[in-house]
Amino acid sequence: MENVEKKIREEAKKLLADKKVDVVVGYERGTLPLTATPVFITEPDDADRLVYDATCVQNLAKYVHDILSAHKEAQKKVKPEDKKKKVVGVVARGCTSRSLVIQLQERQYGRDDLVVLGVPCNGYIDGKKMGIALAGEEILDGSLTGEGVAVKTSAGEKKIALNDVLADNCLTCRFNNPVISDLMAGDNAPAKAFDREYEKVDAFEQLSTEERWAYFTKEMGKCIRCYACRNACPSCYCKVCFVEQSMPQFVGLSADHTDTQLFQLLRTFHMVGRCVDCGSCISVCPMGVDLRNFLKKLDKDALELFENRAGAKMEDVPPLSTYKENDKEDFIYNP
Amino acid sequence: MEKRLIKKDVLAGIVGKIAGDVNLVAPVKEEDNVLFELVKDGVTALSSYRNTKNAPKAFFFPRSETLMRYTRKEKGYEFTGLGEDVSGQTVIFGVRPCDARSFVILDLLFDQDKYKDPYYIEKRANTTVVAVGCTKPPYSTCFCTSVDGSPMSTEGADVFLTDLGESYLAEFLTDKGEKLLKYFGDAKADAGAEKKKEEIAQAAAKEIKKTIPAHEIKAWLDANFEHPFWETVHKKCLACGTCTFMCPTCHCFDIQDEVKAADGKRIRNWDSCMFPLFTRETSGHNPRTSQKERWRQRFMHKFRYYVDMFGPIACVGCGRCVMSCPVNIDIRKIAEDISKL
Repeated sequence: MENVEKKIREEAKKLLADKKVDVVVGYERGTLPLTATPVFITEPDDADRLVYDATCVQNLAKYVHDILSAHKEAQKKVKPEDKKKKVVGVVARGCTSRSLVIQLQERQYGRDDLVVLGVPCNGYIDGKKMGIALAGEEILDGSLTGEGVAVKTSAGEKKIALNDVLADNCLTCRFNNPVISDLMAGDNAPAKAFDREYEKVDAFEQLSTEERWAYFTKEMGKCIRCYACRNACPSCYCKVCFVEQSMPQFVGLSADHTDTQLFQLLRTFHMVGRCVDCGSCISVCPMGVDLRNFLKKLDKDALELFENRAGAKMEDVPPLSTYKENDKEDFIYNP
Repeated sequence: MEKRLIKKDVLAGIVGKIAGDVNLVAPVKEEDNVLFELVKDGVTALSSYRNTKNAPKAFFFPRSETLMRYTRKEKGYEFTGLGEDVSGQTVIFGVRPCDARSFVILDLLFDQDKYKDPYYIEKRANTTVVAVGCTKPPYSTCFCTSVDGSPMSTEGADVFLTDLGESYLAEFLTDKGEKLLKYFGDAKADAGAEKKKEEIAQAAAKEIKKTIPAHEIKAWLDANFEHPFWETVHKKCLACGTCTFMCPTCHCFDIQDEVKAADGKRIRNWDSCMFPLFTRETSGHNPRTSQKERWRQRFMHKFRYYVDMFGPIACVGCGRCVMSCPVNIDIRKIAEDISKL
């Protein structure tokens, strides 16, 4: 990945120096060991701060939407002759690029507002799995070594196989290379075990209604309604989220479990054909709520009922944006 | 002040006995998280843990708390009672010194001369805090010594336990604490145990490697409400409430009425200055227009306003926000960056 990182820096520097973009959204080193954090580079000289490896977790499409929609809002107050265009460069791996496609399909901004700096992806480290692998020991230092992670804890040094700590969504990712890109930093990454992407959902579907409900209530019971999942999600960009509407108020603010369930249920259902399984919502959750199982089920439904894979192709028409006479609707008669 | 020595292996029994008599809140393992929870039958309180994911403030200042109930009658609304019954003695066991200090800091707000919060005060009065010193600071992100705490600070504790290796030194620091004496046996602590504790305390404080210029930046904060620096903090912030909900001292709330048919409840819920809705006014105007202003508020509230109003910094250096921020906005780094300006 070192070459990829070098290429990203070079390309970002060039894009900024040539004024082809106003900002490059990427990752820089975090303040804690084995972490990276989103960064916004506006000066060519700062491009060397960019990093890219398995510690880069967040789906950066969220920030692209934030920046471009804020710019659009600000431009409303500007005289027509003073209007300016803003172009965002973004380091995008497969899932990020799919989120960009969704935002483009949903007419959030134009393709010319965007320069996609594509990167191959082998997956990112899941903090929760790392915690389990280290039996709760705190990471004091760490480095990536090809197929492994070398970690120093107070209990000593430990080498962990990368595959043991990669996020579930990465291990079975179907789109680990960008679906759209203007520049590509590095060669395509080898395919992941995408034929197993619905394994967990298939198993979950086998459970009884009661068991599935019990799992749902257990997981939702952990939620503290900090909304990190929603706010990290590139597809959750409503100006006012229904949970924050006050006239009328749909959802109570208290810790009542039905309100929490309603929030999560509605958010999940808003994701039909819009969830790219980037895992951002799961990675940001401070309480470790398993949202993926439910989102992945809807992803499977979108595929089986509407032959749709979210954000896979620009030409696709998203299932929530269209209607076909032959849409399957047997669920109406056969619940 | 009474002091006792107890053998390490009897502690679990003591905790069990306390749980039999009063409500016991203690760290328990919930899947991958260690959380402070009300210990129910069949759940074991952990004896070995670093610190909990959630801050124990929730037991005095709950995530959601019913303040009063009312019902609609023909002639209008009628008061039908206060919130949940919170009576009954509670012991919070296993609080780390940073979190115990957070109670003292919160007392300054909820139990001040001018305003008294009866809900908070009642729970505080009914609760005994048993703190366990950090003989070995649990995380590399700990910075309690920079914000006037220490890994062996007894501030906020009614009973303070120190792990001396073979045994625990139990110090009964308040009247409330002394009521628990009966559970701890008769073995009085000698001068040797106290000396050992001193040594441990000094070594533990040295183990906190991370320091931040928490006091040093106050003058800059006083003078720089407007400064380009504030543009550099917030950009990657998701505007989620993780940092404030995890924080042991964050205490902002929102009061809402929830009505089902004729019966209503007035509920106080945690709020977060990170939420865009936090300061939005009825007119629709929001004086804190972006995450920049919200971040400035969070930082200023902890390191400037609280100091001006009550004295201490509203941060105990537990590092929870540092560890749980999904995008690694590190409050320690903000303080450091400011000190370099």
